Amino acid sequence: MARTLAMFTDVSLCIGCRACQVACKQWNELAPEEPEWTGTYQNHAHFTDKTYRLVRFFEEPGDDKVGVRWHMMSDVCKHCAQAGCLEACPTGAIYRTEYGTVNINQDICNGCRYCVSACPFGVVSFNHDTGTATKCTFCNDRLHNGLGPACAKACPTESIRFGFRDELEAKARKRVDELQKLGHKDAQLYGADQQGALGGLNAFFLLLGKPATYGLPEQPKLPQKNVFMDSVFSIASAVVVGLGALLAFRGRGGGDQGGS
Amino acid sequence: MEPGLLQSSAWPLLIDLYFFLGGLAGGAFVIATAANLIDRVRYQDVVRVGYYVAFLAIIPCPLLLIVDLGVPTRFFHMLMVSKPSMDIGMSAVAVGPFHLKLYSPMSAGAWALLAFSVFAFLCALDVFLTDRGSRSMAWLRTTAGILGSVFGFFIAAYPGVLLGATARPLFVNAHWLGALFLAVSAATGGAAIALILSLLRGTGARDAVARVMRITSVALVVQLIALALFVASVRAAGSVKVSAALGQLLAGPYSATFWLGAVIIGVIAPLLLLLLRGAAQRGAPGMTVLVSALVLVGGFLLKYVLIAAGQAS
Repeated sequence: MARTLAMFTDVSLCIGCRACQVACKQWNELAPEEPEWTGTYQNHAHFTDKTYRLVRFFEEPGDDKVGVRWHMMSDVCKHCAQAGCLEACPTGAIYRTEYGTVNINQDICNGCRYCVSACPFGVVSFNHDTGTATKCTFCNDRLHNGLGPACAKACPTESIRFGFRDELEAKARKRVDELQKLGHKDAQLYGADQQGALGGLNAFFLLLGKPATYGLPEQPKLPQKNVFMDSVFSIASAVVVGLGALLAFRGRGGGDQGGS
Repeated sequence: MEPGLLQSSAWPLLIDLYFFLGGLAGGAFVIATAANLIDRVRYQDVVRVGYYVAFLAIIPCPLLLIVDLGVPTRFFHMLMVSKPSMDIGMSAVAVGPFHLKLYSPMSAGAWALLAFSVFAFLCALDVFLTDRGSRSMAWLRTTAGILGSVFGFFIAAYPGVLLGATARPLFVNAHWLGALFLAVSAATGGAAIALILSLLRGTGARDAVARVMRITSVALVVQLIALALFVASVRAAGSVKVSAALGQLLAGPYSATFWLGAVIIGVIAPLLLLLLRGAAQRGAPGMTVLVSALVLVGGFLLKYVLIAAGQAS
């Protein structure tokens, strides 16, 4: 496998211009959608089959000095090292590329939609036109031609950066230190740690507050972690029911068949 | 603050129907096999009805699943693809063009459904041929029955494990869903056999019906325990979103269906009727029909309401 590639999204530099969202749409030829009112500048409310990059807007109630804190975060598929969608996919359509990213092979996907509810981040979306599941491809076609993802290329503030994962992680850690020195005490990385949740995210983030501020789960969990224990419990249930069935037929007459 | 961070698979009623019918088929098959193993002559009615119910109930199942797919013509991709991808998950086993992913309940379930269908067909065929006067191939029926029961249990339980392996707030920390689905399936399978036997044979099948109802009541008790453990496991997780999801099920828009339909109609009422009223215990046809109908309706509603509340959470 080639060296793992990554995207690093630094929310402290995001100005909410949505150039990434537009560039993504253009490069991937995603059709326009009806805008919707979400209460903020955010459009759409969540990822769709035609929106792979989504700038989220969050308002956080402040204190006496600051009325409202305004957070912008360009959200994208996290390309998890342990990916719920990939493990859930029964067809093998979802695979890990040689770059460490996660992709959906549109020629194999049969549209069962299990991956949609297996994603801890609500990224995978169902496309009703093609009948398949879709999500950010990390611009796989661009990667194969020596280019980075379109969103990173378009970002005017370098809030989205692209590169080798180890190099980006080092840069990100330095950036957190800088921000903390500047007084942003809550500055923290999300998904950068490869020992952390989901084995690290290959699209990781620098946040200026708790993950919950950005609608991100504090400790995202690989849904398939439940499978082993649930199976053990199921076997226990099967043993009880199976023995119950054998004993019910074995015992002496159950009905009132006289003396039988 | 977070408009719909998670997305739902939006599985329609087709899937609920499959979970119900597939489970019923697995449950009926296992009960018929148990009867066949203990005394195939004495319980020939149970064996016959059980294997027929299992076979007939499993026939529409693949169709329900295929119709629901985004690209139905690619249904066989569940089992094989002509060009296997490189890295398709930590538990993937690939042999030639075929693949099985042990940590994907849907992948394992697709294989189990195929295997179960074969055994259900063989057993139903042997019963059919025996009824037509052929000599029963006892060894075939016994072997197919035992092997098929493994897959029957699997078909009954895996939809619960499948739901448990999603990121939906109601399910992400939940355990016991597989055990719960297995018990519901066994109860509905038993209820279907008892219902049909009572309607066809009346009082003539009392002893057999009473025994099948005893299995159903064991399954109902397991169901009640698994349901309580499921709720406890969700409650233990305790995050805001998870609590809200549980609230929707227990006290929100789904509570009426859950408490009245799934718990009272599906478990409490049949159990009380079975345990308190001697008539049902002894396999009296009228009472059996009533109790079986309650179990079947409640069993469907339990699976339905869990899927609905889970997808809405």
